[in-house]
Amino acid sequence: MEFTHLGAMAEALFSLLTVGSLMLAFVMLGSRWLKDYMYAFAAQSWLIAALSACVAYYGDFHELYGVALLTAVFRGVLLPYMILHILRRLKVRRELLGYMRPSSSLVFGAFLVILALGVAVHITGALGLAGSNVIVLALTVMLSMKLIGFLMLIVRHEAVSQILGLLVLENGIFLGSQILVPGMPMMIELVILFDLLVAVACFGVLVRYLMVHVGSTSSRHMKRLTG
Amino acid sequence: MTDTLLILLLGTTLPAPLAIVLVMIDRNPRHVGMINLIASLTTLVFALPLPFVVGDGSPQWLEGYLFIDALGAWVMLCVSVVYALSSIYALGYMTLDGEPERLPGFYALFAAFAETMLLAPLVNNLGAYWIAIELTTLVSTFLVGFERGAESIEAAWKYIIIVSAGISLSLLGTILLYWAGSMEAGPTYNLTWETLAELAPRMDPTLLRLGFLLLLVGYGTKVGLAPMHTWLPDAHSEGPTPVSAMLSGALLNTAMLGIVRPLHAMDHAGQGSVAHGVLIVIGLFSLTIAALFIISQRHVKRLMAYSSVEHMGIIALGFGFGGAAGIAGALYHMLNHSIAKPLMFFGAGNAMKRYGTSDMNRLRGLRHAFPATIWLWLAGAVAITGAPPFGLFRSEWHILVAGIHGEYRFAVILMLVLLIVIFIGFLNHFRLMIYDGKALPEPTGPVPGFACRLPMWPAAAALLILGLWWPQGLQTLFNHIIDGFR
Amino acid sequence: MASNLFAQIAQVLTVVLLSPLLQGFINKMEERVQRSEGPSLLQPYRDLRKLFSKQLVVPETATWLFWLTPILAIVAVLTVPLLIPVLTNYPLPLSDMGDILGSGLILTLASFLINLAALDSGSAYGGIGASRSVMLTILSEPILILVFVAITLMAHSMLPFVVNHLLVEQPPVYWGATHLFLVLAFFILLLVETDRLPIHSSTHIEIYMIGEARVLEYAGPLLGLLRWASMMKQFILYIIFCNVLTMPWGLSTTGVPIGLAGAILGVAMKFALIGLAVVVVETVQARLRFYRYQEPLAAGFLMAVLAIVANQL
Repeated sequence: MEFTHLGAMAEALFSLLTVGSLMLAFVMLGSRWLKDYMYAFAAQSWLIAALSACVAYYGDFHELYGVALLTAVFRGVLLPYMILHILRRLKVRRELLGYMRPSSSLVFGAFLVILALGVAVHITGALGLAGSNVIVLALTVMLSMKLIGFLMLIVRHEAVSQILGLLVLENGIFLGSQILVPGMPMMIELVILFDLLVAVACFGVLVRYLMVHVGSTSSRHMKRLTG
Repeated sequence: MTDTLLILLLGTTLPAPLAIVLVMIDRNPRHVGMINLIASLTTLVFALPLPFVVGDGSPQWLEGYLFIDALGAWVMLCVSVVYALSSIYALGYMTLDGEPERLPGFYALFAAFAETMLLAPLVNNLGAYWIAIELTTLVSTFLVGFERGAESIEAAWKYIIIVSAGISLSLLGTILLYWAGSMEAGPTYNLTWETLAELAPRMDPTLLRLGFLLLLVGYGTKVGLAPMHTWLPDAHSEGPTPVSAMLSGALLNTAMLGIVRPLHAMDHAGQGSVAHGVLIVIGLFSLTIAALFIISQRHVKRLMAYSSVEHMGIIALGFGFGGAAGIAGALYHMLNHSIAKPLMFFGAGNAMKRYGTSDMNRLRGLRHAFPATIWLWLAGAVAITGAPPFGLFRSEWHILVAGIHGEYRFAVILMLVLLIVIFIGFLNHFRLMIYDGKALPEPTGPVPGFACRLPMWPAAAALLILGLWWPQGLQTLFNHIIDGFR
Repeated sequence: MASNLFAQIAQVLTVVLLSPLLQGFINKMEERVQRSEGPSLLQPYRDLRKLFSKQLVVPETATWLFWLTPILAIVAVLTVPLLIPVLTNYPLPLSDMGDILGSGLILTLASFLINLAALDSGSAYGGIGASRSVMLTILSEPILILVFVAITLMAHSMLPFVVNHLLVEQPPVYWGATHLFLVLAFFILLLVETDRLPIHSSTHIEIYMIGEARVLEYAGPLLGLLRWASMMKQFILYIIFCNVLTMPWGLSTTGVPIGLAGAILGVAMKFALIGLAVVVVETVQARLRFYRYQEPLAAGFLMAVLAIVANQL
């Protein structure tokens, strides 16, 4: 296993970057303004790119520098730009009347993080890696970002927030994969990245259709199909 | 890698991209349908012998990123059957919409969709398989939303969000499995299906179980197993009928591969009981949900969609029960479902287009409508609920036998009860539609053309033949696949 | 021993004498940031002197609790500087009477007594003030407890001196995620406990008051005692924030008078920085509606949970 024995400073750096990404996911959860979501997502992608670069430095995986750069450019700049493009056409600027207000979802999210911590400790205990700080942290943050992404998909009703929830899901997996499996073949990581771009482009087109044909991008108005 | 195999593979996977190119170049609405049809028929011709030629080998190429084995070839056969039938139907159906300038786009997307489904079984790497499934979602979303109405766009949006969220779970499972494997095989290796099966016994059991369950839930969303099926009735009912047939008959099988191949790895690792147990529970739950929603259904296409949920549940039960009878039954069921479901959708599409309504309470007295095809539709209904002498009866029988052999008594009894409930509920709708009422509703559309009625004949005939005759060649093929599972 | 005793007395005197200066600094800086002149830095001293020279007026319906509360509040607040590192970074005698949790509890005791006194005289505004400030306490106490839990997990001890040493000697712990999230969580708590925006602003309109409404019945020296107690509480919270968590440097290590004087200067500089930060936070925000107070507090709760998670139990 790669990162079971890191120096204390490196561990602190890893911790900082991963928990910072988690905190940005909470910023997305606790805010009402759609533009804030987007900026938080962009900042989170930059943090994860920095994490990739750290993994490349401390683990001697030199191809990860390229992955870090591409993440910063594609996930950190291009995707937020595309989402901004979508946002400009929308009439709504913020989420009102969600199913759970932002402060409650913050507290609920905190409980999800504790759940993820429990699962991560259980897994690493079974693996015998319980002493390794970074692995447990990576697993915790990966699982909790997934749970928070799903929470965002559930309690938000705006189309753009749901897109961002999906992107947070993907970001969480990417963060986990950088620390847990840094040696994964580069090609897979790159193709997943491009696939994400195509997916967001499709989302953009669909949001435009939603505006034109359904008249609103909120899922509160999409209740025609039941049974 | 023999030459025959290479020719067959190229013949299966190349016509669809060629069709896309040709459709984009020649945008004449009268030609694009024919181009697609020729491509689909070519694909079918080359795909028919493919499973038998592959036999028990599994050759790989492109540095192990692509491969072909008997199971994948079988799925490709099912996909090409549906592709061919739907292409014939689309010739007659799509012209009824009255928007000929959009047809080239439709057929390009249609052929692209078929191509992604044909390529997915060929992919060897777990991560690349995820990408292939994601691509099928992206392409089919635009097909589901093709009719640009409020309901269609809503269905397309629900489809893409739910399925993308679901399969992100399977990406998490893939990462966890890769991590578990990297403790044995080093940080960089190619996680192919075979490597997964090899490494599984040496992986940590907790991680292996967690990874498998995540893969099951993730790809189960795509397959339409309950409780992840919520996108399915919307997407299958709101797309144009040829698209519904493709989604139902072909895509669900392709996604099932993502569950069946890791199941093999779990068996290898000795964790089979957990995997099979969960699969059986999910299969039974799908049957329950399908039964409940079929009984009280009003929309004819949603009825067919819930029937898809039911059949995917049966296939899951087949693989869950395991053993030679279970696997053979599940594979046969895949093929029979791929033939029967388009038949049902075509009949429903004809009725909807002719009478302008999808409400089954208003479609009455249909025995006076479409002279011959209405009886084909009824035969399809009888077939799809699993009655003899049609093929689905044989496959369900095999699965039940497998359940009894595997000592899953309770599951078998529950499955039987639910199948009977679905039989009664489903056929009740047809009884009311066809026999009840004296007069037809007012027709609002044209009589379905020749192309809309033609594909129903070979489908019904194939169902009847497969129900009466279990060819020896098929049994040999199934034995190859079953041996691959040991 | 004599120098230790001297240092201990010096700590308490620092808190007593310098807390109005901190309040004056914050008030002045708030006004200066908005380009007006602002009151003098020594204005709180003048206010206190005015209050202590006024006549004592007591409502007829008040009981012994009314008299006792300001005295007990001042005593409680005077006890805490004995326990925390104000000027020295080694434990002085009597500082093992309590740890961080003990300090927090004593401060809460003072607040609790003031709540009771507000209800004591039977005025409507007292009731409003008491109920609102109890609601705020309910929202912020869990964060306080979680912060203490996180500190204990980080340093394996509840004593503020141990935490201080740990942060000074080990930069990785200082820059680690646990510590930084603790700082953020405690900053939000600081804003809430010292009644800064977005929670509250000092307003003369009784309906909008939260904590001030509790002391509307007090006048003269008793009011002076209460105001001094609240200024000292603010000073103590700033001490904990700076000397224990954020900037644990600059404390006297030997207890020599020169060292103590230098520590006082260090404290002054650190407080200037934190005070400016608080002023900036106050100026850029408007006051939140009462029903939205849970939002910054939920964020603080979250930070505390993240700090615990980042620490790897």
